Amino acid sequence: MRKKVIVKGLVVTLITSLMTISLVACGSGNKKEETTKESSQVNIEAGQQKGGAYEEEVTITLGRQTLQNAKLPDGDTYEDNAYTRLVKDVYNIKLVDEFEASGDDYGRQVSLALSAGEIPDMMKVATYDELKELYENDMIADLSGVYEDYASDYLKSIYDSYEGRALDKVTFDGKMMALPGTNVDAGPSEVWIRSDWMETLGIQVDQDGNHAITIEELEMVASKFKEANLNQAENVVGMAFAPWLTSGDPDGTYSMNSIAYALGAFPKTWLESDGKVVYGSTAPEMKEALSVISKWFEEGLVDPQLGTRTWDDISALLSNGQTGITFGTWHIPDWLLNNVRVMDPNATFEAYGIENAQGEVSCKHNDAVAGYIVVSKECKNPEAAIKIANLFYDTLVTSNTIEKDYPEVATYIANGVDGSTRPFNIEVNLYTSLLDDYSDVEKFVSGDISIDEVRTTESKNVSSSIQKYLENPTGAEVVDWSKYHSRMKGIELIQTFTENATFNWITPIFPQTTTTMETNQANLDKLEEETFIKIAIGQIDAEEGFNEFVKEWNKLGGKQIIAEIEEQLK
Amino acid sequence: MIENRSFSSRARVSIIYCIVILLGLVCLLPLWNIVAISFSSSAAVTANKVGLAPVDFTTVAYKKIIEDSQFWRSFMISVVRVILAVILNTVLVVLMAYPLTKSTREFRGRNLYMNLLIFAMLFNGGMIPSFILVKELGLLNSIWALVLPGALPIFNVILVMNFFLGIPKSLEEAAIIDGANPLQVLIKILVPCAKPCIATIVLFSIVGSWNDFFSGLIYIQKPRNYPIMTYIQSLNVDIQELLKSGMSSSSLGNLSELSNKNLNAAKIVVAVIPLLLIYPILQKYLITGIVMGSVKE
Repeated sequence: MRKKVIVKGLVVTLITSLMTISLVACGSGNKKEETTKESSQVNIEAGQQKGGAYEEEVTITLGRQTLQNAKLPDGDTYEDNAYTRLVKDVYNIKLVDEFEASGDDYGRQVSLALSAGEIPDMMKVATYDELKELYENDMIADLSGVYEDYASDYLKSIYDSYEGRALDKVTFDGKMMALPGTNVDAGPSEVWIRSDWMETLGIQVDQDGNHAITIEELEMVASKFKEANLNQAENVVGMAFAPWLTSGDPDGTYSMNSIAYALGAFPKTWLESDGKVVYGSTAPEMKEALSVISKWFEEGLVDPQLGTRTWDDISALLSNGQTGITFGTWHIPDWLLNNVRVMDPNATFEAYGIENAQGEVSCKHNDAVAGYIVVSKECKNPEAAIKIANLFYDTLVTSNTIEKDYPEVATYIANGVDGSTRPFNIEVNLYTSLLDDYSDVEKFVSGDISIDEVRTTESKNVSSSIQKYLENPTGAEVVDWSKYHSRMKGIELIQTFTENATFNWITPIFPQTTTTMETNQANLDKLEEETFIKIAIGQIDAEEGFNEFVKEWNKLGGKQIIAEIEEQLK
Repeated sequence: MIENRSFSSRARVSIIYCIVILLGLVCLLPLWNIVAISFSSSAAVTANKVGLAPVDFTTVAYKKIIEDSQFWRSFMISVVRVILAVILNTVLVVLMAYPLTKSTREFRGRNLYMNLLIFAMLFNGGMIPSFILVKELGLLNSIWALVLPGALPIFNVILVMNFFLGIPKSLEEAAIIDGANPLQVLIKILVPCAKPCIATIVLFSIVGSWNDFFSGLIYIQKPRNYPIMTYIQSLNVDIQELLKSGMSSSSLGNLSELSNKNLNAAKIVVAVIPLLLIYPILQKYLITGIVMGSVKE
């Protein structure tokens, strides 16, 4: 059986390399005829790389994860829009959607296609388990050869910037089975505090000016806000948390992650040292973090309705001015805090990290990969996947002359047409892209460079938005307010921490789903969330309740899962 | 004794009324809340201020819907689907129910057919085999994928069959003596007698196919072609789940615009209107339909 796989693999590699060679031949042959046409129409950088347009139209079928509010202009669809037309113009590839669906519904379509045994030429899969299943069922093509031959240097450098963490994840038996979507580190869960309130009340925090505050300072601000009740709201709340309290993502919005991290607890995180695996939620530090919340709950600093307050309810607390402190990722001003500004034109926020006793801000690396593009074994042109990736993750991103070269695409970017309308709905960004993009914006805002020197179209739009806000802070549009806060506060914080080496980076492990996880994880998660909420609201004692939880957790399969993960790591 | 009984029965009646009114409110209030939300300003909705009366009354959400081409596209798809489903369901159910009213003496395979139907009603192939079947039949992405898999609702067959059994046999015999063939008996005698019951199954299939969103999710692979309820359920976005999927901040921004609750509430209200209009027309048949069908001679 094993042998068969290897033989098959060899055959496939042979065929692909043969195809590659023949295509290269084609490529150089048709180039002469095509060059004149291409260069007159659009300046196609991708065409200069190996493998330009196909001589005969190639049809590729896709499985695409859509977004409900893609903001496509009237008449354009996922199948026929500026991006798909661009692919047709540049490569002579016609894209046909086999299926489209959004969110979880997309996952269902993928499973259905999988069980029907027929997958489109190329599609996105969201989870590693799906990718593995596709590989084990021998349904997807090996991309090692075409990646090597066709990927542009920049595309390769993007993946290399993750030091193997991205490509390792899609490598099975030494073969690259998918194009991984990258996931840059999103930084910590930032504490967003109403700075207009702090000013009115004359509250001073962050005396050392490192943008990180202590847990005590946070407590002080919360109690002062609650006492002053500047908005004269009914039912003022000091701090509100979502019912699940902790998040597996470092930047978990409405979670208590930042407080836990400052106390050295890393909830919902698998950590490894010397081959021993530890689950962060069961570490003694977690007990301390929960005790803090439970103390605040008793003192009335934490929402008395903790546990029943939903996500939407917390958003409502913020926009009603019932609370002025919240926790979340750098971009919440763009889509969550903007509601606060809608209700109160004077609202402004300041972002802080929470520091530990050593004055450091702990943060955790993200899984480097989010989403995969796989190519069906039946697909006759696997190299097209790489070509499309070159176009979207290299040419379009690195070019700052999009307005001139691809006016239609530039309009899309300016109007905020969603990125999911690109053929592949994954993000492929340099590991440092968050801060790289920000440095342009920062330089522009401080007057060091002009708008034309800003490298990407996206950053240009952000920069001019921020400029508009700074010219007239109280009268500016909400969207300009949002862009200012998410960049000049949210990313600025990450930038400052990086520059001053305030970060204490934790590298967790991202195990594959083990057999016991499949059967027991849901129950374990439920046990964890229920216990944590009970401890937080003082229903059970922190000391006893937590020890009981750890025991129970191990008994219900946790111990088994740890053993399985340790086995994986060997 | 008599007084006591009347007192207790009056008490019982008033308790029953209380319970029924309470249950009625439990059903009505959430819907009323949606109506109130649809007429409130977006800011008031986000701030959780809307209860049973609209806050900052506005019809802006409805104006937006009028311009929403996708909404009307899905709406029309659902209308076509309902029309097809009603015609198919009614014809097939009546044709299936009539032979089953015959005894095994007249229709030898009757019990076999009946058992097959009941078996198919209780057990089905499940999602994936059904999907593969629809795919292999080439129905995927067509309106027929929404109509054909549910073309013969077996529960309705049993309902109509029992109703037919309740019609005096002498009517049918008289027609046969006058020279009517079985088809004429069915169309000219039984169907007119069974009007209330047929109105009931028509209502069932209208409500069923209008409200069904799941088959749209499975069999229609382009959101553009979703029927109305599938479209509305796709607007219901769980942002906290999406946060985990490495989505870019601009996509999250686009999504959070979508969780415009007053607009979505208005969509729900508009989508419910057709049913609200049809119900009163057919409801008077609904009750007699089920009750009469359930008793057989």
